[in-house]
Formats: sequence, C-alpha cells, structure tokens
Amino acid sequence: MQVIQFSSADFSYGTFPVLSDISFSVEKGEFISIIGENGAGKSTLLKLFNGLNRPTAGTVSICGLDTRSAKTSELAAHVGFLFQNPDRQICCNTIREELNFGIHTDPERTERILQTFGFTPDASPFSLSRGQRQQIALASVIARNTDILVLDEPTTGLDYRECMSMMSYIRKLNREEGKTIVMVSHDMEIVQDFSGRILVLTGGKLAADGPARTILTDRQLLEKASLLPPQIADTALRLGSGFADIFTVQEMTDRVGHILSAVAVQTQDVHI
Amino acid sequence: MKAFLDYIPGDSPLHRLNPLSKFTISVAVCAACFISTSPLVLCALIVLDLLLAALGHIFTFALKLLRGLAGLSVFLFILQVLFIRTGRPLFTLFSGFPVTTDGIMNAARLVLRLTGSMLPLAVMLSLTKLNDLSGVLTWYLHIPYKYAFMLTTAIRFIPVFTAEMESIMEAQTARGIEFDTKNIFKKIKLIMPLCIPLLITSVGKSDTTAVSAELRGFERRNRHSMSVIYPLRAPDSIAFVFSAGLIAAAAVL
Repeated sequence: MQVIQFSSADFSYGTFPVLSDISFSVEKGEFISIIGENGAGKSTLLKLFNGLNRPTAGTVSICGLDTRSAKTSELAAHVGFLFQNPDRQICCNTIREELNFGIHTDPERTERILQTFGFTPDASPFSLSRGQRQQIALASVIARNTDILVLDEPTTGLDYRECMSMMSYIRKLNREEGKTIVMVSHDMEIVQDFSGRILVLTGGKLAADGPARTILTDRQLLEKASLLPPQIADTALRLGSGFADIFTVQEMTDRVGHILSAVAVQTQDVHI
Repeated sequence: MKAFLDYIPGDSPLHRLNPLSKFTISVAVCAACFISTSPLVLCALIVLDLLLAALGHIFTFALKLLRGLAGLSVFLFILQVLFIRTGRPLFTLFSGFPVTTDGIMNAARLVLRLTGSMLPLAVMLSLTKLNDLSGVLTWYLHIPYKYAFMLTTAIRFIPVFTAEMESIMEAQTARGIEFDTKNIFKKIKLIMPLCIPLLITSVGKSDTTAVSAELRGFERRNRHSMSVIYPLRAPDSIAFVFSAGLIAAAAVL
C-alpha cells in the first residue's frame, strides 16, 4: 500500500526554486534514506511530507491526503517529524508531560516508551545532555503512534552508543510495528546499515532512487552528489573488480577468509 | 532568505550616506511624529518615509512593512475609539460604546504616529550595517563601545529570534498543535508554552555570544579600536540640515 506519493512536485521559496520535478512513491513499512550535499534541498523536501512546505507545482499525497489542502495539524495524525534540533521541540517541564504534549497520545503507550528509553518521567528535559534531549524528542514523536516517521538527521550530535541505541529503536519500529521511515542523514555508515532504499538529491532534483546496495556502490553518482561511499564499500571498490559485489562487513570478512584459506591450501601444496 | 531588519545591500544615495546621518534622519522623523499633532503633517511624514525608502531602493520592503503595520493600526484604532469617551458623541457602537470626535482624532493621531515613527527606524536599519552603526555611535557620539554593541546586538537578535520562533512553531505544528488555525485567540493561547523553548534558546545564544566576544578581547575595545573610519561629507551636511528643518517644521505646523 502506497503511503507517500510525490508527483512532479516543485517547491520554491518565493521566486527562488529549491526543488523541481520530484516524483517517487513509498510503500508502507519501507525504510528510505534521502542523501545529498548541503543545500541540495533535503530538509525542504522533508517539510513537504507534513505540509510545512506546500508544493508550488505538482502534488504530494500522504496517506491519501493532498498536502496542498490538508492542514499540517491534520497531516500530523499520520506523520511524526523529528527535527535536527531537539530544543525547538521540547517545551514541557517534565519528560512525561513532553511525551503527552500534542495530539493523539495514549498514556499507556507513553509509559511503555518511558520504560523502554529508561527516562526518569518527572525529570526536567532541559537539564539533560544533547543526546538525551534528542532521544526525548524522538520519544515524543513515537508516542503519537503515527504511520510515518520523518527524521531529519536524527543522529547529529550523538556519540556512537547513543546513535546505535536510537537507530536500533527506529529499526525495531520499522520491523515490528511496520512504521514507514523516511530519514535524512549525512552519515553513510548509518544509511548503509539501516536503509533498504535510498533517494539521492542533487541541486534540488532527484538524481537516483534505488536499493541501498546499488546506490552506495555507484562511485560516480555519489561523487556527483559530493558524497563518499561507506568505508567498507569504498574499500571494496578500491580493491578492484573481484570485490565489487562486497557491501557489508560480513561479506568482506567472508571473502577475505575464503581467500586466506585458499592461499593456505596452496601454500600446503608447495613442497620445497 | 532575508529576515526582517536584515541589512539590504545596495549602492543607493542612502546606502552611501554616513551611518550617523541616516541615524539622525530617522530620529528626526520620529521626533517630528511626536512633536506634530496634525494628522495631515503625520500623513506627510509617512509619505516622506516611503520616499526615503524609494531613495534607498527598498520601496517594496517599506510597503510590505506598512501593510504589516496596518493590521496592528486597525486594532489600536478600534481600541482607542471604543475607550475614549471625551468629545462630541457621533454615534454608539455595540450599544454602550459612544464614538466621539476626540476618540477618532486621538486614535488617528496614535496610529499615524506609530506608523510614521516605526518606518524610518526600519528603513534606516535595513540600509545600515549594524557594525557601522555601533562604530559611529562610539566614534561621533562617544557612547561607550559596550553600550553601542549592546544596542546593535539587541537589534541583530530580532530577526534571529523571529526565525527561531518560526522554527519552534513549525516543530510544534508538526506535532499536531493547531498553529495553522485561523482563530487568533486560540493561536495566542497555543503560543504561550513556546516561550520556554524560545527563552532557553535565547539565553543560550546570548551566553555563547558573550563568551565569544570575551574571547576576542571585547573588554579592551573602545573608540580607538575602530578599524573603519566614517568620514562626514557634503551629503551628510545636507542630511543634518534636513533633519533640523524637519523638526522645526513639525513644531511650527
């Protein structure tokens, strides 16, 4: 079932065009990432998902609602949006209040989320670290139980442990609850590890749309978008055509192990 | 994107004027607005504001600002008309609020003064770099650098905080809060909790700016630390004479 549908959507800030001719659709339960250089229009594109930006031409449909006419507060029942800066989102005195702030919150779900994240419910969100505030912002988005989660650079400013904990939770929501995830990230390792499909944006146009493996091993395409492949894919590409199909650490480990055992067998066969 | 009160670059005669002259003209127009009691003179001062904006090639910006002020003006006009009871009654509104001649005249004066005095300041700030403004205030008016910096920083923060508030409202709208409602009273009620994130961001930004300024030797700066010289030329003399004439005319008319 298609939950997101962009048809030749354009967007301009006044007379300044930012996005042009964007067309793609997303099925329920997909995990997609949008990548591209700074200024490519990624965050502007995300705001088209919930009506914060309205297409200046073409259409954007979210769960059957046309964003040209639907109010953002109506679309919010279907789309949860995590902003880059959690401090723009947090406005309540306790974490529990923060999770219950807004529409369509279920207190039982809130309590479950508080336990899952290990928050102290009555603590003030403002006294916590940047990483914890980002987690609270994510938790308050999840508390509304929307079908689609739009995440604008969710791991910015997080350390490795916080980053993995947050992304694992997002993957769980995708796999177990069937949430559709749309994420913008500059971290190619995160994109590689978690996304099934990738959209590449360059100069406000959709340059590519395909499976993560195809996109992240296309050096020419990534260079065009001022990006580098993830380290493991980059290493495989540098090793030559014999490694061109390698994409994950596991695949690289298996291939290297296979080569090493073949070399060992050949060495055993050599008699001096 | 340009925010409200951001400097608009250009090469108009007003852009080339010494910042002190621009500051003097805008203060003179404001003073004239408060000295004069004649609605006709106040209207003429608003026209003068628009002419100054046209001279600075920012006429469209001034018109937009005027349109923005119109809403506030209508609101203030109605309040004044409803609550001033002195003067000759003309008719009654909402069966209990007499509209009087004094009410209409005072309301008109207030609204015209507000518009006439806000426009020149906005025009001046859009045509002057804030660093230049603090520079001339320190150099010519001998205002301690600390206070000149404080004034210009406060002005510089207006568009920053406006943009920040817009972002906060976007974030809350995305959570389903009805900021896209047409009901102004509902909107005001919804805005109240947003003061917290705005306050936290503002304090954080001010603190970062203060620390950053300290680290760059802010305490040691004075009028002799200026790296730019702002000479006064012939057009500046004309501007000063014009400003003095404007105040005199407002007092006489």
